[in-house]
Amino acid sequence: MSLVQHFAILLVGAALVNNILLTRFIGLCPFFGVSSSMETSLGMSLAVLFVMTMASAATWVFWNALLAPLGVGEFLYIPAFILVIAALVQFVEMYLRKVSPALYRAMGIYLPLITTNCAVLAAATEAVKPGFFKMNVPYSFGFGEAIVYTIGVAAGFGIALLSFAAIRERLELAPVPRAFKGSPMAFITAGLLSLAYIGLGGLFGL
Amino acid sequence: MDLMLIAKAVGALSVMGVVVGVMLTVASQKFHVEVDPRVEAVFAALPGSNCGACGHPSCFAVAESMVTGASPIDACIAGGQTVVDAVALALGQESCAVDAIVSARHCCGGLAVRRVYEFSGVKSCAASHRLAGGVIECSAGCLGLGDCMRACPFDAIRMDDRSLPVIDLVACTGCGVCVRECPRGHSALLEMVGEAAPVVVRCVQHDKPAQRKKYCPTCCIACKKCEKECPEDAIHVVDWLAVVDYGKCTGCGACVDVCPQDCIDFSGRSAVAPAHTLDGMAANVPGRVAAPKAEQTEEVVAG
Repeated sequence: MSLVQHFAILLVGAALVNNILLTRFIGLCPFFGVSSSMETSLGMSLAVLFVMTMASAATWVFWNALLAPLGVGEFLYIPAFILVIAALVQFVEMYLRKVSPALYRAMGIYLPLITTNCAVLAAATEAVKPGFFKMNVPYSFGFGEAIVYTIGVAAGFGIALLSFAAIRERLELAPVPRAFKGSPMAFITAGLLSLAYIGLGGLFGL
Repeated sequence: MDLMLIAKAVGALSVMGVVVGVMLTVASQKFHVEVDPRVEAVFAALPGSNCGACGHPSCFAVAESMVTGASPIDACIAGGQTVVDAVALALGQESCAVDAIVSARHCCGGLAVRRVYEFSGVKSCAASHRLAGGVIECSAGCLGLGDCMRACPFDAIRMDDRSLPVIDLVACTGCGVCVRECPRGHSALLEMVGEAAPVVVRCVQHDKPAQRKKYCPTCCIACKKCEKECPEDAIHVVDWLAVVDYGKCTGCGACVDVCPQDCIDFSGRSAVAPAHTLDGMAANVPGRVAAPKAEQTEEVVAG
């Protein structure tokens, strides 16, 4: 398998087959919270892509330089990663505010909002411990793989969020029974969407 | 106990803490952004409750917008005259007079209204309203589960023994959060009225009077007695419901006295209401007219 093929499979697998929202059900609060309009979902998706990639890079470095060699990573990874992610988001916020006020305003509330988002923590964890949420695979990502994997996860987050927001926008105009209007209809839609994504599980004949 | 492992864990987290701490300290120095001192001055003058009545997401956002001139100095609806004066002072501009508004409840049914079903769900008006249009037979009236009370950022609403929200007009700032939260928005059950509005009609149901009389003992029956009695021609029955024209109403109380259903009440912060309904005046609120005393009758104080 060539290198390109390897990365392509990693990307598609993370984005579609193991979609973080719809097949693994991580990070569901923004999935329902900000999906009422395409505009907010786009902002959220971009912020998640940005923060998730930065967070994975930072936690990969801390893991491989500090936690794994000391043998404390197995039980320390959650507080350690939360610390790194929270500090990183703070840093990025300050940096953006100074360097690019326009981007800072565009990201707005979403940056601080995803400081403690579980999807970001999950992606950062899996970047250093692949397959953590499925089975114990005796394999570890290199830095490049970790980054590509995280971009895939964030892309999957964005795809799911945007498609869900698009459906919800159209549902606003659809003749939904009164008792189902709003959140109940959103939950049913999310369930159907999730079923569709689980169907992608056989994509690579895995 | 593996002391070595504990030491390693403590050490690892400390190192990480120090690294990110130093990084953030350096960053906060290096990327420091000067905030306009006027924004801080204006922000200090605002209520700080982030109620959103001005249309901005937070008090800080509207402060920024006032300083740049994008919003007028009286953009803060909840603040009233005192805040507008303070903002004007902070910005070195001339203050202007504001027309304060307060919330008013147009229903006096409460527990007396006939129930359609037994509601044992979440204690929230929104939940009850979603379930077949609410627990009460009246499709417009108050569900009495207190969404407005919980939403009020100024603690100005309490529920009385009829399970109706009573608005404390001394504390009400007119931010309108309760009106937005109320699931009976379609019927304008809660409505913003001028702070001096002397009387309030406590019914919003537009069904035919004979029909609504069946399920609500206190509804407006469209008898037009108030219309005939009013010396100022300020109250009219429109679509089977008495509606007050606050432009003409003087607060003489003729309609309140004559209403056979007792569904017209005195209200408002003004002292226009006749003396016999007011047991005394509450302490003066700075910048505002004295409000009727709270414990005298709920009706006088309630919105």
